[in-house]
Amino acid sequence: MTKRSPPRAEKTAKRRGARYVVATDVGGTCTDTIVFAVGEPVHIGKSLSTPPNFADGVFDSIKSAADAMDVSVGQLLADTALFVHGSTVVDNTLLTRDGAKTGLLLTEGFEDTLHVTRGAYGRWGGLTEDRIKHPVKTDRPAPLVDPDCVRGIPERVDYKGAVLRPLDEEAVARAIAALVERGCSALAVSFLWSFYNAEHEERVAAIAKRVAPDLYVSMSSAIAPVPGEYERTSTAVINAYAGRIARDYVNRLTELLAERGYTGTTLIMQGYGGLLPAAEAADRSVGMIECGPAAGVIGSRFLGDLMGDPDVIAADMGGTTFKVGVIQGGELEYAREPMVDRFHYIAPKIDVISIGAGGGSIVALDPRTKVPRVGPRSAGARPGPICYGQGGTEPTVTDVLALIGYMDPNIFLGGTMRLDIEAARKAFAAQIARPMGMKPDDAAFGIYRIAAAQITDLIREITVERGLDPRDFTLHAFGGTCGLLCGLFGEELAVKRVVVPYTASVNCAFGLVAADVVHEYSVTTTLPVPSPASAIEAIYAPLVARALGQFKAEGIGRERIRFDRAIDLRYRRQVHEVTTPLRAESKLTDRAVARLVEDFEALYQRKYGKGSAYREAGMEMTMFRLSARALMTRPELEKRRSAGMSPKAAHMGKRRVFVAAKDGFAPADIYDFEKLESGNVVKGPAVIHTPITTIVVQAGQTGRIDGYRNTIIEFN
Amino acid sequence: MTRPLSATLDLRESGGARSICCAACGHALADAGQPWKPAATVRERPMVGIAGAPYSTGPKVQLREFFCPGCGALLDTETALPGDPFLTDIVRP
Amino acid sequence: MDPITFEIIRHRLYRVVEEAVITLKHVSGSAITNEGHDLMVSLYRADGSLLMGGVGFLHHLTSAAEACKHIIRTFKGNIDEGDVFLLNDPYTAALHTSDIYLVHPIHHQKKLVAWSACFVHVYDIGAMNPGGFSPESRDIYTEGFSSPGIKLVEKGAVRQDVMALLLNMVRSPEMVALDISSMIACGNVARERMLALIDKYGFKTVDRACRSLIDQSETLLRARLKELPDGRWEARQFLDVQGEVYRVTLAMTKKKDTLTFDFTGSSPQSPYGVNCSYWAGWGALFAPLFPLLCYDITWNEGMIRPITMIAPEGTIVNAKRPAPVSIATVGAIQSVNNVACTCIAKMLSASEKYKDEATAVWHGSHVAIFLFGKNQKGGESIGIMTETFGGAGGARAFADGIDLGGEIPNPISRMANVETVEANFPIRYLFRRRTQDSGGPGRFRGGAGGEYAIVPHDAPDGGIHFVVSGKGIQYPMSEGLGGGYPASPCSYQWVHNNEADRARNADAKFAQSVDEMPGRKEPISWGVFPLMGEDSLYVRWNGGGGYGDPLAREPATVLADVRTRVVSRETADRIYGVVLNGDASAVDEPATRARREALRAARFAKAAE
Repeated sequence: MTKRSPPRAEKTAKRRGARYVVATDVGGTCTDTIVFAVGEPVHIGKSLSTPPNFADGVFDSIKSAADAMDVSVGQLLADTALFVHGSTVVDNTLLTRDGAKTGLLLTEGFEDTLHVTRGAYGRWGGLTEDRIKHPVKTDRPAPLVDPDCVRGIPERVDYKGAVLRPLDEEAVARAIAALVERGCSALAVSFLWSFYNAEHEERVAAIAKRVAPDLYVSMSSAIAPVPGEYERTSTAVINAYAGRIARDYVNRLTELLAERGYTGTTLIMQGYGGLLPAAEAADRSVGMIECGPAAGVIGSRFLGDLMGDPDVIAADMGGTTFKVGVIQGGELEYAREPMVDRFHYIAPKIDVISIGAGGGSIVALDPRTKVPRVGPRSAGARPGPICYGQGGTEPTVTDVLALIGYMDPNIFLGGTMRLDIEAARKAFAAQIARPMGMKPDDAAFGIYRIAAAQITDLIREITVERGLDPRDFTLHAFGGTCGLLCGLFGEELAVKRVVVPYTASVNCAFGLVAADVVHEYSVTTTLPVPSPASAIEAIYAPLVARALGQFKAEGIGRERIRFDRAIDLRYRRQVHEVTTPLRAESKLTDRAVARLVEDFEALYQRKYGKGSAYREAGMEMTMFRLSARALMTRPELEKRRSAGMSPKAAHMGKRRVFVAAKDGFAPADIYDFEKLESGNVVKGPAVIHTPITTIVVQAGQTGRIDGYRNTIIEFN
Repeated sequence: MTRPLSATLDLRESGGARSICCAACGHALADAGQPWKPAATVRERPMVGIAGAPYSTGPKVQLREFFCPGCGALLDTETALPGDPFLTDIVRP
Repeated sequence: MDPITFEIIRHRLYRVVEEAVITLKHVSGSAITNEGHDLMVSLYRADGSLLMGGVGFLHHLTSAAEACKHIIRTFKGNIDEGDVFLLNDPYTAALHTSDIYLVHPIHHQKKLVAWSACFVHVYDIGAMNPGGFSPESRDIYTEGFSSPGIKLVEKGAVRQDVMALLLNMVRSPEMVALDISSMIACGNVARERMLALIDKYGFKTVDRACRSLIDQSETLLRARLKELPDGRWEARQFLDVQGEVYRVTLAMTKKKDTLTFDFTGSSPQSPYGVNCSYWAGWGALFAPLFPLLCYDITWNEGMIRPITMIAPEGTIVNAKRPAPVSIATVGAIQSVNNVACTCIAKMLSASEKYKDEATAVWHGSHVAIFLFGKNQKGGESIGIMTETFGGAGGARAFADGIDLGGEIPNPISRMANVETVEANFPIRYLFRRRTQDSGGPGRFRGGAGGEYAIVPHDAPDGGIHFVVSGKGIQYPMSEGLGGGYPASPCSYQWVHNNEADRARNADAKFAQSVDEMPGRKEPISWGVFPLMGEDSLYVRWNGGGGYGDPLAREPATVLADVRTRVVSRETADRIYGVVLNGDASAVDEPATRARREALRAARFAKAAE
């Protein structure tokens, strides 16, 4: 089969009536696939991820979905118009330190920018409070660039973008040669104020192309054209470090798809929740960072839209971590000081915070005080919880959940695995309960409460501490373990209701198909408030032209394109900038600008508190953002009619489980999710077993199956 | 029986007597609980320029170094003006 | 107290403090608070004893406790729900007038149950020099607005007369108003969250948890002290100001489960504002004590109980009113930090179990410089050069100190980006980097400090002015440990490029070192200076102290130091005894062996003299 990249591929596929969208998400453990077409049910495929050659796992997963559809992979792909993909390949590269040997060019005089990380910032960034209080034992993470692979280049631009010192091209050529000789296969270049005047960086890239054509080059002005040279440099470095790996991965994936008969378009998920065509994504490795959690939040937004909830707390409890993001009025929040691993960087990224509290988190006692802690250490997938019988010896959250009766040893994971609860009980009694001087049952109940409390505190951090009230929100509970705790922490937060989605186990893949192609553009420049609408239009005009040109090249019709504009504003004497959506029709009016300023002030007050604004200093606009979005077709989920409220047909009997309101064991109704139907209402205390997770409905709560087979927990 | 007294000194017991000893060579400097610096080899010199141009201390500032008389290991340092008493560290045995 | 509820409440209390810190940063929006993290928020019991101390500048945790206690004594019977008190007098409890404490009583069902206290370094306090460090002051009367305790908010309503009193005495009152607003908001959040916690668990349970938390800290610290050997360790620091030299001397005694810090023998107080008051000295003690000895213990009153301080009145660490103290936080307080760090580290080194917790002194002297003047946007700017928060880590028993690794008294410090500074002040940096040979030599090298040079750029007035209250120039203040050398000291130079002829001046524009600048270099340290025209200000701050014998440092590591330019070849040769080949690509092993032998022999030769 001829390997060629298919031009205008989507049209080709469409001509043949290709109707499927296939979305595959590669996570750390699992690779999930969703296949949908208008008017057909959604099909799901799941397989284990295959590091380091993740692309193989992609096809295992597609095959799993194709099997469910009773077709071959080739038949499926031939009928597929769009393949959407998200992958942890870049995250994995950073984690395993498997990237390229990278060189760095900086403005002469500032060669230490990357390595001194704005002082201690890089030493304490990303650490928990416990570790921050122990400075003697902290360190910066090992840098991605060897200190002897940095060169200072004579050049200088000032805060206005004016060139003070011309670029010394000889020095550039010499530096590149020296770095290549040292073994560098990638190069990042980051000059001061390059986001205002990128000319010098662009000339460096041109020189590199001439003297070292195989070098992978990343310019900070192209990757992260925003102020703040430390974070900008770090971003360019990460992009160069993982660049070739990302590019090779995307190219290989495209080839493998073509080999198997795929002629459609391929889109790749970005950390800001938008999709980029493969060719562009291949050159933006930094854009793929943490695209998984971003997809999770997008998936949650999609579900929220479907269910009429514009305000959603998206919570995901996996094996190791508990992650949470927020959607407010359908809008996403972006991280302000983003980090990946322990590196600062500045690509736009959906804000997701996390703690080390997952199903595999280890429960341990502080040896001096005998006070119990949950996590952050984890037993991972191997050896895993004690009750999995894979050699785990330390009690985990999953073991505790089993001890308090929430898991049925016989039907765990659809009967594919039997739980050894006795082993868990013995270890827990010896390691936790006895040293605490508590009865094992009471100790287990207490650990359950601590885990729920930690989660509550985390969720408050992303809501209450940002001026949002959880009581205005619906909480979506994703991940294998979330359903077991969400009744407890959801009630404590007093959210409106908790939804355990039917698609919870493949939420990230769902997010992929709920995302749009989004190109983000921005210009950093300062305009005073007020400024005439025409001045702002003048800034946006070239951005809009670029966006239209880009979409045209990608074969996307004008009618599918939406533009969203947002402007960063600040009060002159204060540091905080707030990205404020510009609510305006295509042509900007002075009235719309006035409304922008009002919106900014309201947003600022919400985020930073009443009386926090020093208005008398005046305001200014500092960054002009354009989000150009091509709307993708959304899957339609089948909505079933109610089959009546009685869940009798799914009832499997009763079992003694921990009921929080009783502070002890009490009988609860047990249900088989597969036999529950839309409309059924389950009264707590109850436990619902699904093939992939368990949902606990506490006393005083009800669990209702909606038309989409989501489980909705309500508090009465 | 040996236990650390500082980064460079040990408390060692031998024949019922406990002494402060150089951790590198075992040379005994003083009885346990007594000041050990008087038994050390002391070198005092102006600090300025010792380790490069940034060592631009005032001309009178001294770097005091205390060496083991047995093996020359550097046991401790002090910043001092001439005539300043030694800083005395006592660890109760 | 059941351990589950205890643990949950403990974590919630910590989040109360965290949330209050976020509020403080958010509402203020000032650079020194948001970039430098020059702030503190803590919770206190009803009697003013420290309940939960947060991160930020640690010297304040205990002095704010004294502020609460003083308010309790002074306003007895007159402390109502919704009140907020302001206190910034250093002779009552504060560290210096710029660091204003706002203290919120927390009432539950009409009963006083707790306090929250916070501070920021306000934009200006009306001292003789702008920004709050006032080198020209010779007494407290010229160090700006100062109150031993005044009610700022009465039952929820801001007292406009008190606000007006403060704002009437400061430069840029609008910015100071914002600082105050941020502290009011911060305390309000702490109050709300604390009350929510009490509402949820009941006052009795929360109270019991708080008492347990304090008792637990005391038990844990005493247990740790018992594990450490009894002893007495000494340390000494020199402070040089305008040709005067002061000493801070410390003898720390550990007996059983108590620790006494005795500063007897320290110099009499100075006519310059480097002095610190009693409570400042007390707070300064705890700044290293918390992270070095109590890294895994909740920071509260329990840890204070085993500690005693002896600081004779009238000395530089316990100055008598009306001695000036505006520079205390980068003056005597820092010296107290350093000598306490040294003594604690020596004690830890005497323990097999804890010896890896020992560290040489970090960032012994700040290089606090405030710029002020008209900026390139036509407005007025006052602000600190945040490089001083870059710091330098002291070497440890098992690893080097971290280059620009910050400082011990503020675990979350950081410096601003060059671009941030150049956007807000009419200046341009020539360079900003680690300083070669600044880390104290040792088997483990002290972390490098940094250096920078700035020149005026697009300044409407031709330039800008700056206030410098520098010390640590004559004497190194980052002491070494266990044979490690101290780090290099600080340096501030006014480079008079304006005086150089035009031809030579062209070179100054992109000079890569102070040596490359053609102007006359004038060492400065104290006062207000202009930065105009082509002149440059060069600043270099100290590194961290070294650990262990430099002759024991791995030659391969010294080679790496030379290749990354953090150590010069000369220092490698003369101090570390490591000789490199011609192009510094490898260690010359035989030459190194010979050199080290010779250096060791020289040690003995000295004794023979």
